[in-house]
Amino acid sequence: MSAPPAQPPVLATVRVRMYQVGFGDCFLLTFEYAGQAEPARHILIDFGTRQLAAGLGLDDIAREIDAHTGGGPDVVVLSHRHQDHMSGFGGSGTDAIVGRWKPRLVVRSWTEDPAAPADGDGPSGTGLRAGLDQGLAFAKALSQEITSARGVRADLRELAVAQLANQAAIDRLDAWSQGGKGAYVNYGKPLAIDAVVPGVQVHVIGPPTVAQHPAVAKERSTSPEYWQLYQGLAAAGAFIPAAGDQATGAEEKLVGPQRWVVEKLQGPQLRSLLRIVTALDHAMNNTSVILLIQAGDRRLLFCGDAQIENWEYALTVAGDSRQVLDLLRGVDLYKVGHHGSRNATPRTLFNLWTDPGTRDRTMTALMSTKPGVFPGSPGSGTEVPRQTLLAALGQRMTLCSTMNLPEGTSHIEVAAPATGDAAFTVVTPP
Amino acid sequence: MSQQDPVAERVGSPRRTFAMTIVAQDPSVGDERGMLRATVPVPADRLEPGPRGHRFQVIDYDATARVLLPPATLTAGDGGPAEADPFDGRPDEELLSDPAFHAQNVYAIAARTLAAFESAIGRRLNWGFLGHELYLVPHAMAEANAYYADDVRAVLFGYLPPTARRGTRGRPRGLRIARRGRLDPGAVYTCLSHDVVAHETTHAVLDGLRHRFLMPGLPDQPAFHEGLADIVALLSVFSMPGVAKRLLGRANLRGQIADQSVTDQELKHNALFTLAEQVGSALKDERGSALRDSITLTPSARWASDPRYSEPHSRGEVLVWIILETLARIWRKRLQDITFAGSVNLDRAAEEGATAAQHLLGMCVRAIDYLPPVEFEFPDFLAALLVSDGEMVPDDKHGYREAVRSAFARWGIRAADTYMADLSQSSLTPIYRNLSYTALRSDTDEVFRFIWENLELLEIDPRFYIHVEHVRPSVRVGPDGMVVAETVAEYIQFLEGTPAGLSRAIGLRPPANVPSGTRVRVLGGGTIIFDQFGQAKYHHRKDIRDIRRQRRRLNYLVSNGLFDGDSLGVSDGLPAGQRFAILHQPDTDPKETW
Repeated sequence: MSAPPAQPPVLATVRVRMYQVGFGDCFLLTFEYAGQAEPARHILIDFGTRQLAAGLGLDDIAREIDAHTGGGPDVVVLSHRHQDHMSGFGGSGTDAIVGRWKPRLVVRSWTEDPAAPADGDGPSGTGLRAGLDQGLAFAKALSQEITSARGVRADLRELAVAQLANQAAIDRLDAWSQGGKGAYVNYGKPLAIDAVVPGVQVHVIGPPTVAQHPAVAKERSTSPEYWQLYQGLAAAGAFIPAAGDQATGAEEKLVGPQRWVVEKLQGPQLRSLLRIVTALDHAMNNTSVILLIQAGDRRLLFCGDAQIENWEYALTVAGDSRQVLDLLRGVDLYKVGHHGSRNATPRTLFNLWTDPGTRDRTMTALMSTKPGVFPGSPGSGTEVPRQTLLAALGQRMTLCSTMNLPEGTSHIEVAAPATGDAAFTVVTPP
Repeated sequence: MSQQDPVAERVGSPRRTFAMTIVAQDPSVGDERGMLRATVPVPADRLEPGPRGHRFQVIDYDATARVLLPPATLTAGDGGPAEADPFDGRPDEELLSDPAFHAQNVYAIAARTLAAFESAIGRRLNWGFLGHELYLVPHAMAEANAYYADDVRAVLFGYLPPTARRGTRGRPRGLRIARRGRLDPGAVYTCLSHDVVAHETTHAVLDGLRHRFLMPGLPDQPAFHEGLADIVALLSVFSMPGVAKRLLGRANLRGQIADQSVTDQELKHNALFTLAEQVGSALKDERGSALRDSITLTPSARWASDPRYSEPHSRGEVLVWIILETLARIWRKRLQDITFAGSVNLDRAAEEGATAAQHLLGMCVRAIDYLPPVEFEFPDFLAALLVSDGEMVPDDKHGYREAVRSAFARWGIRAADTYMADLSQSSLTPIYRNLSYTALRSDTDEVFRFIWENLELLEIDPRFYIHVEHVRPSVRVGPDGMVVAETVAEYIQFLEGTPAGLSRAIGLRPPANVPSGTRVRVLGGGTIIFDQFGQAKYHHRKDIRDIRRQRRRLNYLVSNGLFDGDSLGVSDGLPAGQRFAILHQPDTDPKETW
């Protein structure tokens, strides 16, 4: 007599832990099955920080993840390669623990795919990835040249450093991706996650490839030539004003309006550079993977730091954006984009949840952020998290944020039944 | 210093203008003969190398390359221009690579923009900073941006080199003062875009007229800066000889550099070219107003609370839409008068458009004098337009005011929404006892005396600090030769206190989340127009006691994070001089941001 066909395991509970990494992202999604028929499965989305919260280091968090997963996650997702999303994977004192993990699937953006296609989009080519690579080379040059620790120069250096590749982390992710375990995704690409996490379906709704949405490569900040010219300027010593003892004495010859202008333009020049590096920061943000995860009846939305240029394809341009919008309307859990900044939660997206038909659905938002890292300038709307967004989220959803956690508390945990009409509720802290 | 023959100076009539070659629109706009240029009259001045006149000085310093180029000499020995414009007829490559031409271009367009304002308003206009000269820096930094930096007293124009430089010096070096310079003709220079130069100079001129529009206020205020600068740039380019004709169907709009390679600046279709069906086929009949990329603005009365218009740029575009709509109407009307058998001569049509644009520009500029000094909102501009133009041209025989009114009405903006009092209609008689007419035309204390004697008429509450900031005479001539001589006086009122204090003083409750120790500042003020007999005619007022407006302003400031440390409504907290730089960012879509 043959054995009865194996029943697929039934999802019982979806649990999400948002770890306290200060200004950074680290989310563990745990899928628990009915009757403990199957061991729980874990998806870790990002692990990194730009500025830790007091009292907790990345190694503390690594230990927590290790404990909560029983030896490491099954799937690792890197939304995009900014430090505050990936520093925990390597080079930050977590190697003893993270080095033992053996994820079965590593999900990254198509822009990370080492097997460059034959067209011009490789590192030395003319495409988007070439542009970003050149941009990063410029950021590296800038971060080496600027040594000041104060004022605008310090901000500039920090922003440039935040763009740089953390090679140890990349190497680890690459190692994990060996043997076909790396998935490099773009909009609409099917992701066979069911084999690793039964009962879960993932829709990739960002980023689009250049072929799908040529507009993503039209920005100046994605053009290799643009960044090469800035590298050239940096190499020629353009961005580093000479210290006092290096002045040739030419400045001392100047009087009157000429001297005024020469002295007064130092500040504006630095701010100009800050704007330029910010454009690179945005371009990197827009390589973020956007995942709509369907687990039973629950829908979770994780979008890294994606900004509107990435989102717009899914929201308005794609041929099947209607279906995507329908899926998005039913989201139960939203991970607030880019730590609560002004341009990573498109209003078009948010409005889906405030329609007459949707505004009474209970929703939960998770925001991993730390005020003060980007205080912004008042009136410019650049503070992170953004006041107006905080207010809107607080009104519409149950907003859980690491910025309100007491010192030493390592995570916020929410959970929901996988089936039926249910909402996420907070488990800890009580 | 040039030698001057004192006798020769007195003999003969002085030149009022110099003829200078400029880029008509943008280096990318031209025909088979090359880039489109124009030779335009520029107000005469004693021009030292720079060029340096008494209002503008070009200083060619590149803060990225740290190179100071030599001042351009555009003059002959006597401080006047060279006999012939040295750039007339030169090939494009030469103009693009000669820093002296770049200097001439920015100087000429900036000087013409100031002159357009001065001749419309009828007096000299000071800058918003303490100084006589505005510095123009044509290659200030390697960035696709250009802006008015009030702290540097300069307009900074950015550029983008076309390719990476080969060969390096390697190490940071000090400032280099070059003997001569040659620029890369393939680079993108914002200083060569006519509309950019006009736009940025307008910010500087408006800052002189209404300096307090840079104080924290309601969102219409920065929007007015952007909108007016766009309007001036547009209308000024449009009135260039030859451009009107070429521009049919296209218009370059703002100091913002497009995301694409800038040599590829997109010219936009706009409402200007909405023409009646009977007009000849040589002219295109376009509809819609795509002002920013491909957004088509749809007028709606509920726009003010729509989040997509919260950003100053997009809010300012409402004003631009309104002015273009007005221009289209006026132009169409003028064309109707010269249309025969369904067709109109293309040159005449273009000329009519240019004339209409000039008239409309004058109207907009004159209206600025009639605006209150603080707390600007769009209905103020409409009321100012209608009243100031009514003084110049009592019978609106060309229908300009009607066109303006109906364009604003499309957005639900009505003059009645602001307080513009015609004092001759008041039941109270103004009191002029012991006032001196002569002093009233120029002395702030005398104007304050008038206010003091007429508190009831003006409905000004003397409990609050009042200060008369400016008294300026202006004399203008209307199109029918009628002289309008006025005095324009501005006063402001301040009140500062903690939230609890303000609540007790005027019943204003600041928003709930303002901490109790915060220093909160509220403003009021007004503009009083006196006629040629010293009679007070109009009073455009922003009452400091208008609790609803104060509450709206504080709510707006708080909800947009204009919470600068422990004060609210005192400063906007932006880094010095960067206000317009930030606005000019190639921004993320304002409709989608928070």
